[in-house]
Amino acid sequence: MAQGFTLRERAVLHFNVADFAVAVERVADSSLRRRPLIIAPLQAARAVVYDMSEEAYGEGVRKGMALRQATRLCRGAALLAPRVTLYDKAMRAFVKELQGYSPLIECGRADGHFFVDVTGTHRLYGPAPDVGWRVRRQARTSLGINPIWTLGTSKLVAKVASRLVKPVGEYIVTAGDEERFLAPLPVHLLPGLSAQELLKLQEFRLTTIGALAQLNRHQLMVPFGRRCEYLHAASHGVDDSRVCTPEGKAEGIDYEHVFAGDINDQDLVEGVVAALAGRAGFQLRMQRQVTRRVGIWLRYSDGALVVRQASCKAGTSEDILLRELALTALQCAWTRRVRIRSCRLVCDRLQRQSPQLSLFAEPDLRQFRQKKVSGAVDILRSRFGHGVIGVGLQYPLASSVDDSAGFPVH
Amino acid sequence: MRSLTVNGKNGDSPAKVALAIGAGSTARGRVCPVYVGTCGYSYTEWVDSGFYPAGTKSMEMLGLYGRCFSVVELNYTWYQMARADALARMVEKAPAHLLFAAKLTRTMTHERADNWREQLQMYRQGIAPLQKRLVAVLIQLPPDFDRSIANRTYLAALLDGLHDVPVAVEFRHCSWAADPVFAELERRQVTLVTVDAPSLPGFFPALDVVTNPALFYVRFHGRNKAGWQSGNMQKKFNYDYSDQELCAWCDQYLSPMAAKADRGILVFNNHVRAQAPKNGRRLAAILADLRPRES
Repeated sequence: MAQGFTLRERAVLHFNVADFAVAVERVADSSLRRRPLIIAPLQAARAVVYDMSEEAYGEGVRKGMALRQATRLCRGAALLAPRVTLYDKAMRAFVKELQGYSPLIECGRADGHFFVDVTGTHRLYGPAPDVGWRVRRQARTSLGINPIWTLGTSKLVAKVASRLVKPVGEYIVTAGDEERFLAPLPVHLLPGLSAQELLKLQEFRLTTIGALAQLNRHQLMVPFGRRCEYLHAASHGVDDSRVCTPEGKAEGIDYEHVFAGDINDQDLVEGVVAALAGRAGFQLRMQRQVTRRVGIWLRYSDGALVVRQASCKAGTSEDILLRELALTALQCAWTRRVRIRSCRLVCDRLQRQSPQLSLFAEPDLRQFRQKKVSGAVDILRSRFGHGVIGVGLQYPLASSVDDSAGFPVH
Repeated sequence: MRSLTVNGKNGDSPAKVALAIGAGSTARGRVCPVYVGTCGYSYTEWVDSGFYPAGTKSMEMLGLYGRCFSVVELNYTWYQMARADALARMVEKAPAHLLFAAKLTRTMTHERADNWREQLQMYRQGIAPLQKRLVAVLIQLPPDFDRSIANRTYLAALLDGLHDVPVAVEFRHCSWAADPVFAELERRQVTLVTVDAPSLPGFFPALDVVTNPALFYVRFHGRNKAGWQSGNMQKKFNYDYSDQELCAWCDQYLSPMAAKADRGILVFNNHVRAQAPKNGRRLAAILADLRPRES
């Protein structure tokens, strides 16, 4: 580190609105506050629970549970279809509140989870606990929601603390006290552990985080392989991951299409995927970037979500290759005989296009021609809109779309 | 200051001053120890401002704080429910001489929860590790908590629930400045907190009333009138007391209060830019340098 600089202890606030969808629906309709609430797609034959209120949770309802089973467990519950756009709107409103205190805000996708890095803001806004309390108070007054807030020196510690106080409350973990705070807690409270890892920890009778922390990296390497690094660091409360703003993340290009009605038409779905790949390719080329991984997120009519990815080592921004990768991922994701509600294409592992020109003539004439065509198509699209031209396979998506928000259907 | 002498400088702990009450002779008079401290100790800003050495970590702060002061008011227990495990860890690391005052959680004062009785039990369990080092539980009531029947009933119930621990009450609404209130606090042996704050309409005034002979409790909030009304904590508590103001305060309030109580604590809340520890140390020095003056 350069001389004259000292590392500050970080102050990361975590806000978590328990049962976010329920909280938002209850703000929209206060009559829903008086009874248990289950949110799930209502028309699907085998719908699963998207979110549920604390009362329904108490009756045994869980996320991802079949709706039929959920309604049997909690007979008096009100049922609502999910309104993701409304939840997105509420997320944006909360972020706006947070922006008054820090520019470093990380949030999930319509899930009510926010991390705010308030390191070094004390001279402007006072101590971090006071910021946490004020944000919560503002959220209650202006948005009508009551988030949990926790304070730690990292996202990991703040996240674990929020799991302790759910559904309502606050927790301040003093800097330097992380390891002692974590030690007596059950190991399943650590974020990012897979079901298999938890099972393995159980087999080894590693029930508390403290017990896990007693093992060194080498001991953890045997059963957990490369994950030993994460497990060792997490069990000691060490987490150097930054609070990444959505812009700062720059991790992917993301397009979504929601079908007007649930469908199972293969040609149509593939056409939409091809169109999404075309959009992503255009954006990649405009940003002079290439992607090394394409993911397809299929949302079934019963609410289940399947994510599959396909990757290429070299990275690409060409429509044809992107489409091939996307269709490969689609093939892996579409394994159920259930209609599809929406399809999302995510290009991540982005890197900059190499500015280095080839020393020799393009060896592949076909590829060279495709590049020229892509370039011409991009010029047309940038002048007249995306819908003006496309390859025959692509499903014609609406031309006046808000790319960041997803596409409406024709 | 009248009828007040200092019995030794610093004594067994820093910023603890033994004030001798009487006609200038400790042999004939009584001694009232006064403990000086601040509201909270864990401020990153105090590192920037030089009170803590550069690079001081949060975990090291209490030890360093204890080198300068004899009492600390825990204000994080206002933000979150006191937790016995966390407090036990804190007490373990604290210097042996350091005394603690703990603020009552906001769910029983500013944001009263329906289950406040349960919260009170949780709080009592949470502060248990402080044991004998607890000088008082501070009930800081919000400015809109006026002397209505409902609020009187609530406060009485709250005090009942804390009957076996030392309690200090800070009012912010002027309606509580009434003799029956002082009489009731006296009957319950509850300390009335004396506040030094900007003089604002409707605000509880600064008084030298002692309702509990075992303890008097003073909180210096600073006198930043504009900041107080700004709603910004950094402006509200941004105030630097001058020596003249501190001396004048001692003359007017400390003498009569020390004469009526066995011990007292003086805490500074003007934490911005480490003005609280600066003023606290200055006040301790002023008290220690005092010499008896004939009235």
